[in-house]
Amino acid sequence: MEGIRYPKENTLYKKKEYTQIGQSKPRIDGVSKATGAGKYCGDLKFPNMLYGKMLTSPHAHAKILSIDTSEAEKIPGVIKVITHKDVPDLKYGISPARWDENVLCIDKVRFVGDKVAAVACVDEETCYKALKAIKVEYEVLPAVLDYRTAMNEDMPQIHEEYPRNINTEIHQLFGDVDKALEEAYHVRTDVFEGQRTYQCPIEPHSAISIWKDNKLTVYSSTQSVHYFQYYIAREFGLKMGDVRVIRPLVGGGFGGKLEPTGLEFNGAVLSRLTGRPVKMFYDRAEMFAHNRGRHQGHYEITTGVSKEGKILAAKANFVLDGGAYTSLGIATAYYAGGLLPLTYDFENYQFDLVRMYTNLPACGAQRGHGAPQPKYAFESHLDNVAEDLGIDPIEIRKRNARQANTNTCNGMGIQSCYLSEALDKIEEITDWKAKKEKGLPKGRGIGMATGSFVTGAGYPIYRNDYPSSSCMVRVNEDGTSATLYANAIDIGQGSDTVLCQMTAEAMGYRYENMKIVTGDTETAPLDFGAYSSRQTAYCGWACKRAGEEIKAKILETAGFMMHLPPEDLECEEGIIFSKSRPKVEPITFEEAAKKYFIIKGPLVGTGVYTVPRLGGYHKGAPVATSPSYSFCTQAAEVQVDEETGEIEVLHAWDVHDAGQIINPALMKGQVHGAFGMGFSETVMEEVVFNKDGKIINPDVGGYRIITALDMPNFTNDLIPSNDEPATPWGLKEIGEGSNNPTMGAVRNAIYDATGVNIATLPLSYEKVWRAIKEKKEKEQAAK
Amino acid sequence: MYLPDFDYYVPASVAEACQLLAENIDCAKVISGGTDLLPKMKHGLLSPQILVSIKKIPGLRKIEYVQGKGVVIGAASTINDIVFSEVVQQKYPSVSNAAHTMAANQVRHSGTVGGNLVSAVPSADMPPILMALNATATIEGPNGQRQLPVEDVFCGPSKCLLEKSEIITEIIIPDQAMTGSTYFKFALRRAGALAVVGVAAAVQVENDVIKDARVALGAVAPVPMRAKKTEEFLIGKKISDELLEEAGKIAASECKPITDFRASEEYRRDLVRIYTKRALRKAIDHGHI
Ligand SMILES: Cc1cc2nc3c(=O)[nH]c(=O)nc-3n(C[C@H](O)[C@H](O)[C@H](O)COP(=O)(O)OP(=O)(O)OC[C@H]3O[C@@H](n4cnc5c(N)ncnc54)[C@H](O)[C@@H]3O)c2cc1C
Repeated sequence: MEGIRYPKENTLYKKKEYTQIGQSKPRIDGVSKATGAGKYCGDLKFPNMLYGKMLTSPHAHAKILSIDTSEAEKIPGVIKVITHKDVPDLKYGISPARWDENVLCIDKVRFVGDKVAAVACVDEETCYKALKAIKVEYEVLPAVLDYRTAMNEDMPQIHEEYPRNINTEIHQLFGDVDKALEEAYHVRTDVFEGQRTYQCPIEPHSAISIWKDNKLTVYSSTQSVHYFQYYIAREFGLKMGDVRVIRPLVGGGFGGKLEPTGLEFNGAVLSRLTGRPVKMFYDRAEMFAHNRGRHQGHYEITTGVSKEGKILAAKANFVLDGGAYTSLGIATAYYAGGLLPLTYDFENYQFDLVRMYTNLPACGAQRGHGAPQPKYAFESHLDNVAEDLGIDPIEIRKRNARQANTNTCNGMGIQSCYLSEALDKIEEITDWKAKKEKGLPKGRGIGMATGSFVTGAGYPIYRNDYPSSSCMVRVNEDGTSATLYANAIDIGQGSDTVLCQMTAEAMGYRYENMKIVTGDTETAPLDFGAYSSRQTAYCGWACKRAGEEIKAKILETAGFMMHLPPEDLECEEGIIFSKSRPKVEPITFEEAAKKYFIIKGPLVGTGVYTVPRLGGYHKGAPVATSPSYSFCTQAAEVQVDEETGEIEVLHAWDVHDAGQIINPALMKGQVHGAFGMGFSETVMEEVVFNKDGKIINPDVGGYRIITALDMPNFTNDLIPSNDEPATPWGLKEIGEGSNNPTMGAVRNAIYDATGVNIATLPLSYEKVWRAIKEKKEKEQAAK
Repeated sequence: MYLPDFDYYVPASVAEACQLLAENIDCAKVISGGTDLLPKMKHGLLSPQILVSIKKIPGLRKIEYVQGKGVVIGAASTINDIVFSEVVQQKYPSVSNAAHTMAANQVRHSGTVGGNLVSAVPSADMPPILMALNATATIEGPNGQRQLPVEDVFCGPSKCLLEKSEIITEIIIPDQAMTGSTYFKFALRRAGALAVVGVAAAVQVENDVIKDARVALGAVAPVPMRAKKTEEFLIGKKISDELLEEAGKIAASECKPITDFRASEEYRRDLVRIYTKRALRKAIDHGHI
């Protein structure tokens, strides 16, 4: 198998012959995307279609005194202008615990970009004219722009229902932390500060709404057709069956396209009022204003360790900047501390957090959800502890590494786990020991960290008892193709491809003959969508089961055709043969499938997967539970220009415990992308606001994401295994755990290179420059 | 973010272009690659009713060596034309390399050198190296032609000493007594980023002595600037690391950077020190690179 090197004597990996999975099959959507033939939501046009845009608040916090749309309505080409009076006043959101957003603001705006009115016009240009002509009278209120002081007594209150601007408060305690800290050989506290980053997917958010004959159809660039269907139906009091959500190709989501954006609600109302399809989209600056990117936070971490570096107790005390609304922030908040006990085994753990409301755009889920910044803090802290104790960073991690078949102190059950092996491997392939012993050239440093993530969230976002994933496979009448119907959402990660591979494997068929229909609530069955790295495992189970049903049906027909008992038959790559009688002439899948259709009608298989009940019973226990967890280690070797502070990652390594790999090329793509994103967040990315709460860099020039040229050389490695019982074929997630260690690894490398600690993210060139300068000045003064 | 309506003219000669500009003096603008102008129009910062494209004017995209004149670069040459020009690569790889530091491939493919000068952005990447090599711009208008040293083209952020009816037709890099030149761009990522600091240096070295030096700085003053005190300090001195360090310090003190969200004034100054030193060293040791 290309790219995977299985050690000769591998006791972990029971080698099985797979024909469809474990192979770098080309992406099913690759050609259409590369040639431009594929259609994204923004490419779609419908007869008579109108264009819509929203008017948003220029103030961070203000009362709306009046809205006058009369001038706008007079402009030729303006078909409809709406305000809060025209839309439902039912509050929505994505976390049901805090539905706190209005389709259009009623009496108050809470951030620069809050939605105030919407227009539908014959073209885009007229929309901008119309927006300019709407007169809104505001009474500007003092704004809360710093989450660290948002709780103070004298701060204005953003939401009436939430005194002192506290959106969420978490207090969890497991074991006896105080006692353990008292008994510890060494106790250390570090404080780290994160920054606000934004997903910035390449494709902007958009939605086309068509409300016709009591039925609402919405084309949307979304990570979940199901949640959109549910939230749209709920908002308008429609039956879910009368709401159809269709997802054309999606150009990236990274967590920011899971929740309603306002485009679908306003578009739907405008379509109902005008009787015409309405297309609405965000431009780049509007995407930044809508945001829902990564929360910035203040992270205080304390651990008490034994002389040998064993963690006896850990305390996490966090404050998050949530922005003006809840978004997915409650889950973010629980994830922030919930995932910390995964990679290291400790019994005593205290996790306290407040998520603050501020007059800034709402924060939500971004790749890795709440975990990357806290993990960065923990991994940086752990290197500091190791230094205090004179223990090597890899060694201290080995001494604390999570083992298979254990439970975390906060109630998560881990079955398959090869973190220790991944630590050995990263030590070996980075030549760690030699580099540590001999030292590196000036300005050079190496650092590493560990990571882990859920292979799918244990619970759906709103409470329901539907299965997590389901699918249906229909074989073409003559057996020459099979179509998978699933609402797993390919947002670029490649789920369409791996699901077809898995289905073909289970059917005994060929990937090349698979077709797929996804992202349409009217043709494919329910799936909650692409988030929490669930798609491959959850929908994979459904595909495996549907495929196996087809295989069973086809072997029965083949048995009848071949005069052999079906139990004696096997089907691989579309060839059906006798297991016991090699001389019996095989027949093809196509022949048997055709015969099946002639005798019995459509050859269909269905599959469904429901996550078993997981987790403990404490408040917040459901978040961070998962049937299975990936583990990984990452290392980076950096060169810092000691004069300018410029940082270059010379090489990076990733060793993954990701179970059975379905598609090695896509796996590598995920890891490369995740490292790039993590590196970018470590040194470059930051949404910057002016003193009035307006974003000053809402574009891809000012908001710097690394380019291909900034990406280091990369080594992918694996600890191969397939013994995870909770997932199909023993696979594990790869999409989000792979950016869990990155920030810590890069920070630790920078520290190793320079000996300077930088308290706030991003670790920009200038901050590194300043820290080095200050260190030199101090050293000089000491002389 | 929507491009407003405008009329679009594609004149066939410089004279025709200048006439169009003169006739519509308050509402027309030259468009070359459009990479600076169109984003500004989309953001509503500019709203010319007439755009006069110079892209189809014969000769404006030529790059050639003219005996007695120097390397002549047509103003409508794209940045990539300069990157890949054999003439430039042969005579002044430093200019080709400077061009390559700009933006990303897509922008280099449409943006032009004329536009890079006339947009008069303090952080523009072409002016420092052109100034270090003492390049001049040929300017044509309804009243004829004139020459202006590149460094005199700018008079403030986004402001040029060009009449509204004038266009730059070519940039001339004269034959050099300078033995080496180079441009360093310090940006916050490897592509698609504006210079936080740009430093170009050209030197004439004879027997380890700097006979002549020109240092030009980008992104640290309202317009690309010559570091004249630094130059004066260097001329006639024997080359040493200490000398170059000192030159860096002088450049750092004579530049006038500001603080913005990309970098602080203090950081920019120190970068000028570091890169002046490095640029001088490179130009001394490696020629026009
Ligand atoms: C994403 C992006 C990244 C960028 N990065 C960089 C960078 O790293 N470094 C950098 O220096 N620049 C950068 N730029 C700015 C820009 O691309 C360059 O300045 C480019 O050289 C401008 O040339 P143009 O032909 O596109 O100019 P245009 O947009 O066509 O014109 C710019 C201005 O010059 C005038 N003009 C153009 N040609 C002439 C002429 N011959 N005579 C008189 N007036 C003229 C126009 O009227 C206009 O006012 C970037 C731009 C973008 C969009």
